[in-house]
Amino acid sequence: MTAAGGLPELDPVIHAQARLRVVATLNTLGERDEMAFPSLRDLLDMTAGNLSVHLTKLEEAGYVRITKTHKGRTPVTYVALTRRGRLAFDDYTKAIRALLDTAGGSS
Amino acid sequence: MTDEGDRAPGPEETLKLIEAQRAATVRRLKGDPLLLYGPWGVAWLLGFGMLFLHYGLDGEPYVRITQMQSVSVLLSLQVLAGAVAAYGITRMSVQTRGESSARGAMYGYAWFAGMTLMVIIAMRMSSLLPPHENGLLWAGVSMLVVGVLYMAGGAIWLDWTMFFVGVWVMAVNGVGVLLGAGWHALLSAVLLGGGFLAGSLWMRRRG
Repeated sequence: MTAAGGLPELDPVIHAQARLRVVATLNTLGERDEMAFPSLRDLLDMTAGNLSVHLTKLEEAGYVRITKTHKGRTPVTYVALTRRGRLAFDDYTKAIRALLDTAGGSS
Repeated sequence: MTDEGDRAPGPEETLKLIEAQRAATVRRLKGDPLLLYGPWGVAWLLGFGMLFLHYGLDGEPYVRITQMQSVSVLLSLQVLAGAVAAYGITRMSVQTRGESSARGAMYGYAWFAGMTLMVIIAMRMSSLLPPHENGLLWAGVSMLVVGVLYMAGGAIWLDWTMFFVGVWVMAVNGVGVLLGAGWHALLSAVLLGGGFLAGSLWMRRRG
């Protein structure tokens, strides 16, 4: 079996451990739900700066939507996976599974 | 821009990572079972326990407590449990917004409406009934609301544990009402109060 031929491409935006975790977390939410930034940060155990950098990359790819709003006087930021982000994550997990199958199937 | 996200590990570890992250998120958004189930367990264990000691199984009280005292303990502990659960739910709901929060709010109002109506019905009927049946009316109708709402909650969040907790409450409540006030209090204290306490500890340990 050719090793390179049928292997699926892995989305480079998602294929970085930190961003993969961000996307996996947001994918758990309902389709029309958003998560508050501090909760996402705690859940991922990242620094705010680090998380912001990754969110910006994901936003540039059109995978997440960032909404800045106010609750009373406190500014709140909500993050959600876009439809495109959800599809990309689906494709990514499918590709990973395919990789696993290929690895297991070829002897 | 720094990209310290390191390359993801091999496919197998990647799938494990995704699953672990999903599980952590679900756990976090579901709230602490000790906060959501534990206080109800304590309320029913003590409240129904006192009622049971008041009724006795053969019509003779085991301890001299008035029905009024036991019912007040039960009701006030239930109000407390409701407040703790509401606190737990609020703490969960600030983490996200969107359709799920609206769902949670409507579900909360359903609890409030159900319990209010329970009080109205029981107050209206209680003067017509002998004391034992009167206590059974309060207990039976309030547990009916609890059971139905847990089952409905299971349907809303596709949560089988919650659904079967509701089924359990309905079954114990039904059998208890058929057997009479003393048995209802005993079964509710042990199977529902004790059950909720044990269940909340088990769910928390399981994570």
